[in-house]
Amino acid sequence: MDVFLQQVVNGLSLGGIYALIALGYTMVYGIIELINFAHGDVYTFGTFTSLAILTGLGVSGEVHGPWLVAVVAITLVAAMLTCGALGVLIELLAYRRLRNAPRLAPLITAIGVSFILENVMQLWHGPSPIPFPQVVPNPSVTLGLVSVSAKQVLVIALALVMMIALQLFIYNTKIGKAMRATAQDRDAAQLMGINVNTTILVTFLVGSALAGVAGFVSGVYYGTTWFFNGFEAGLKAFTAAVLGGIGNILGAMLGGFLIGLIEAMATQYVPQGAQWSNVVVFSVLVLVLIFRPSGLLGESLPEKV
Amino acid sequence: MLAVEQANAKGVPGGYSFVAYDLDDAVQGAHDPAQGAQNVKQFVSDDAVLAMVGPFNSSVAQAQIPITNDAGLVQISPATTNPGLTKGDEAAKLRTSHPDVNSFFRVCTTDDKQGAAGASFARKLGLKKAFIVDDNETYGKGLADVFEQQFAAAGGTVLGHEHLTKGQTDYKALLTKAHALGPDLVFYGGTTVTGGALLRKQMADTGLGQVAFIGGDGISDTEFLTSAGQSADGVYYTVAAPETSKLPTATAFVAAYEKRWKSPVGPYSANAYAATNIEIAAIEKAMAEKGGALPTRADVLANVAATKGFASPIGTIGFDKNGDTTAPILSVYKISGGKPVFVEQIVLKV
Repeated sequence: MDVFLQQVVNGLSLGGIYALIALGYTMVYGIIELINFAHGDVYTFGTFTSLAILTGLGVSGEVHGPWLVAVVAITLVAAMLTCGALGVLIELLAYRRLRNAPRLAPLITAIGVSFILENVMQLWHGPSPIPFPQVVPNPSVTLGLVSVSAKQVLVIALALVMMIALQLFIYNTKIGKAMRATAQDRDAAQLMGINVNTTILVTFLVGSALAGVAGFVSGVYYGTTWFFNGFEAGLKAFTAAVLGGIGNILGAMLGGFLIGLIEAMATQYVPQGAQWSNVVVFSVLVLVLIFRPSGLLGESLPEKV
Repeated sequence: MLAVEQANAKGVPGGYSFVAYDLDDAVQGAHDPAQGAQNVKQFVSDDAVLAMVGPFNSSVAQAQIPITNDAGLVQISPATTNPGLTKGDEAAKLRTSHPDVNSFFRVCTTDDKQGAAGASFARKLGLKKAFIVDDNETYGKGLADVFEQQFAAAGGTVLGHEHLTKGQTDYKALLTKAHALGPDLVFYGGTTVTGGALLRKQMADTGLGQVAFIGGDGISDTEFLTSAGQSADGVYYTVAAPETSKLPTATAFVAAYEKRWKSPVGPYSANAYAATNIEIAAIEKAMAEKGGALPTRADVLANVAATKGFASPIGTIGFDKNGDTTAPILSVYKISGGKPVFVEQIVLKV
């Protein structure tokens, strides 16, 4: 039982990172039906930016007290802004011109952008894994049978806070309303006086900023990164978005946590589990899609003509 | 080069002399199999070339072996450790023109022997319960499989053997599983990039921080030290080569090398020296058999293959039927204070 609970904690903290990335996938897909393959690399870019900022602040080890709060806040905000700007730039340069092109064109462009980002990051820090300073002290608390570390709490809490903030943003602000309208019917939204291009830009800004949060958190949690980190994480996060119902914020969150949990449980309870965990994850995805083609929380979208 | 100079200084019968003919397989600083193959073709087309030393990397060897096999030109590699170059189906596939003739030999040992050395060292430390993790690649899995077998044979208990998935970065679930089994050792077969550093780092987060960690030379790089950070301390790893500076048989060579080149010996200098000397001895023996006439490549090859009990700086060398050395010496290092420190040599019996 204690092992089971410990794996729940492991799974939730892994899932928290997937969930944060999945939010960006699902937002962009929801609004322009583009699978933004570059999103995983924006996430890695978030880790790289955080690393650069920490280096700039002269932080190379654990920090304590108010300085810790300041360092975390500065790095987090800077990573969000940089990644958000990167997302906006990608949309402006790569996707906007292809808005009315056949759907395959932006998809392939997304893969191209992903390659560009990966190569830029490889030039930046080389092809090897790079250490990320252990900023956050990591005491672990033993709650009954399981031990939970400070970093795991940080990951899960940040994921939840970001999701709630995003949900409030989308349902309680004017620009959120514009996003929902654009997602539903772009032309109608435009006719109603919504600036569609600005709305899509905001979507990229917010989604990429969340990837920046995920990037910072993963650096802190794993203490290392490398230029190709976003590939696997991006794929899993995309799966999470599909599992939960692509286009659905709560679904992406649920999918992320579920995939983290399934991975941890598969590792524990399937013989040779570490090598089969991905198989289990994707089998679950296939099963869910057979019985619920639009994902767990997905709504069946009206067929677009 | 040093071996060639020494041999010429001693004098070669019949007025011949040895010439070192250097070609580099590196293109823009990285070894390149295509360039390696090109170089060997150049050797093959030159009738005066009777034997070659090299290459350094297994991937280059893969490109070269079919060519030397076709030409019957003997090559001895100082440093390629991929088992498939000499053993099993993989090696058979490389011998394209003459499947029954082996032209490729090596004075270094092979990766799979590292698993055996790791197992013998772990038992020496008194470790009993091992949890094995590998990266599911040829090198890592080979290492881990041999370790599993040898560790059990030496009286240890193997609690589990898991394979990592490429690209995975979170091993906490796996390590939690391992922790529940109560190992006193985690053996890792793989490289730093395929998970070594992260695995070691996350051991501390999952209550395995005080458990021993042994790996192969896939983690003997600076990336492991920087990525694993403080948790790298206490890690042991094996290297499929002797530590030349600690070998009593190598003192004369080390002195001669440093005098000639005014720089300390490299990790594979002694190996290359031994390989060259074996070839020189084989050529001289072949000449003696022919009454001083220049031998053919086939004569030299036969004499290299028959090498037995050859005294060299890296021990007494002989070749088995695959072309592998019969006296593998490996070394164990321990990371301490962020630096690798030599622990001991392990001589395996074959």
